[in-house]
Amino acid sequence: MKLIKLASISKKLCMGALGAFLLIFLPFHMGMNLCILRDDGGEWYRNVCHFMGTNYIVKVFEVVLLACVLFHIVLGIILAIENKMSRPVGYAVANKSKTHQGSKFMIWTGGILLVFLVIHFVDFYFAKTGLVTGKYVVKTEKVEKAFQEKAMKMQQGQLKEADLKELQAQYMAIQSLSGEKVAKNGKYFINLTKEELQQTCGKDFKDYEPDFYNMAKEKFHNNLFVVIYLLAFIALGIHLYHGVGSVFQTYGLNIEKYAKTIDILAVIYAIVIPLGFAIVPLKVLLTAM
Amino acid sequence: MDFTLKIWRQANAKAKGKFETYKITGISPDCSFLEMLDILNEQLINDNIAHPVVFDNDCREGICGMCGLYINGRPHGPDDGVTTCQLHMRKFHDGETITIEPWRAKAFPVIKDLVVDRSAFDKIIQEGGYISATTGGVPDANAIPIPKPKADEAMDAASCIGCGACVAACKNASAMLFVGAKVSQFALLPQGQPEAKRRVVRMIKKMDELGFGNCTNTYACEAECPKSIKKTNIARMNREFICSKTSYTDK
Repeated sequence: MKLIKLASISKKLCMGALGAFLLIFLPFHMGMNLCILRDDGGEWYRNVCHFMGTNYIVKVFEVVLLACVLFHIVLGIILAIENKMSRPVGYAVANKSKTHQGSKFMIWTGGILLVFLVIHFVDFYFAKTGLVTGKYVVKTEKVEKAFQEKAMKMQQGQLKEADLKELQAQYMAIQSLSGEKVAKNGKYFINLTKEELQQTCGKDFKDYEPDFYNMAKEKFHNNLFVVIYLLAFIALGIHLYHGVGSVFQTYGLNIEKYAKTIDILAVIYAIVIPLGFAIVPLKVLLTAM
Repeated sequence: MDFTLKIWRQANAKAKGKFETYKITGISPDCSFLEMLDILNEQLINDNIAHPVVFDNDCREGICGMCGLYINGRPHGPDDGVTTCQLHMRKFHDGETITIEPWRAKAFPVIKDLVVDRSAFDKIIQEGGYISATTGGVPDANAIPIPKPKADEAMDAASCIGCGACVAACKNASAMLFVGAKVSQFALLPQGQPEAKRRVVRMIKKMDELGFGNCTNTYACEAECPKSIKKTNIARMNREFICSKTSYTDK
């Protein structure tokens, strides 16, 4: 019995295509992360986050990416169940055949990555969508502009007594922000909690973004958190090593002439990408110590 | 050499099987694995201990594809590139416990003891693993010129004896290496071209129907194949499949 009525190779091709898209995505994410390493108070990183959060092409790709992740997971689980069903009675002695490293654990490394993804989403991605509260960043000039607009209204006598008090409180709140709440170049208010954000910008202010730079710094000061991330990156490396070579085999591109090249490529990819990801939490943790 | 044998015994397809342990002594290191089982069976009959252990075998020179036992976690046992009949007892340690199991796959149900029903492979072949023959005289061998490397590659694929070790070794009980070899041996030659697109689609469809698993590129099949069929045959089958699916409608 098959769970999906699709030729086995078609399913394999789908799995490969979805995986390949994710393979292409990873270097982008990694490159973005590495901006955090620049000692500029997070300016580069903030700019990249702003671009990724607001650019429309990126937003389209974001939806495609999420769909890819979802289908890759669902199809992977379905295939694993189908494959288990193909051998209802197992062997007494576990298989000792020489196999491609990592291939036997794809569903398990995938499972670890799924758990990691949930943790990662709760910590970072959901802050962007507003599902959880994080830390926020706003442009100082935008806050001032919003404040001045309100002040103008007040002068024209359009505001009531209660609003006046709120405006005063807002002014006090903006004045009280200093030191770690202001970016190095003075153009941003950073590391604001939801409360501080509402106090300084008012309740209707929409022009804020999550402050991933400071969120990352805060999260990666936690040893346990860094360990979880590093374990996930090891699983990622194993998953990628098999994944990269598999894509070529699945699409029939594995002619013997290139077999060695593909294998070396897979090893390099499976080391460089997780390492690139691992540098960020490690650096944050080490500079904190 | 002395051995302790743990052998899967199952009276028939429906019966519940279990492992039985037998001791065997004084086996020559040059004895083949099947000869060792023959000696065991002789003892079981002569000493009236049990029914003889049933196992598939025929030519005993590694070319018929009948024998096939899952020995200590490996199809065809600890040697590389040989069938069970060509495996010799010198590959084991003296006093070793040897566990012998039948192929395990949904598509290969156990018939008795160590014998499984591999007719699923025949059903796949019936779907297109042939060239529709023309009647008449035998054509000259060199009537259609084929470059030697191509002919060799096709011959390597055609050396598959259909023993089922690939399925037995695969963690998903997938038959991709078998079907890959059977598709490749024709796809590489001009005679196979007219039916190539229909062949690959139909054989894969049948393979899926019969309950073989999906391929996860684990390559245990390649490692255990007694004829050293290469995984590139699976890649070729994937290519053929993509090509067929995008340019051919099966009527």
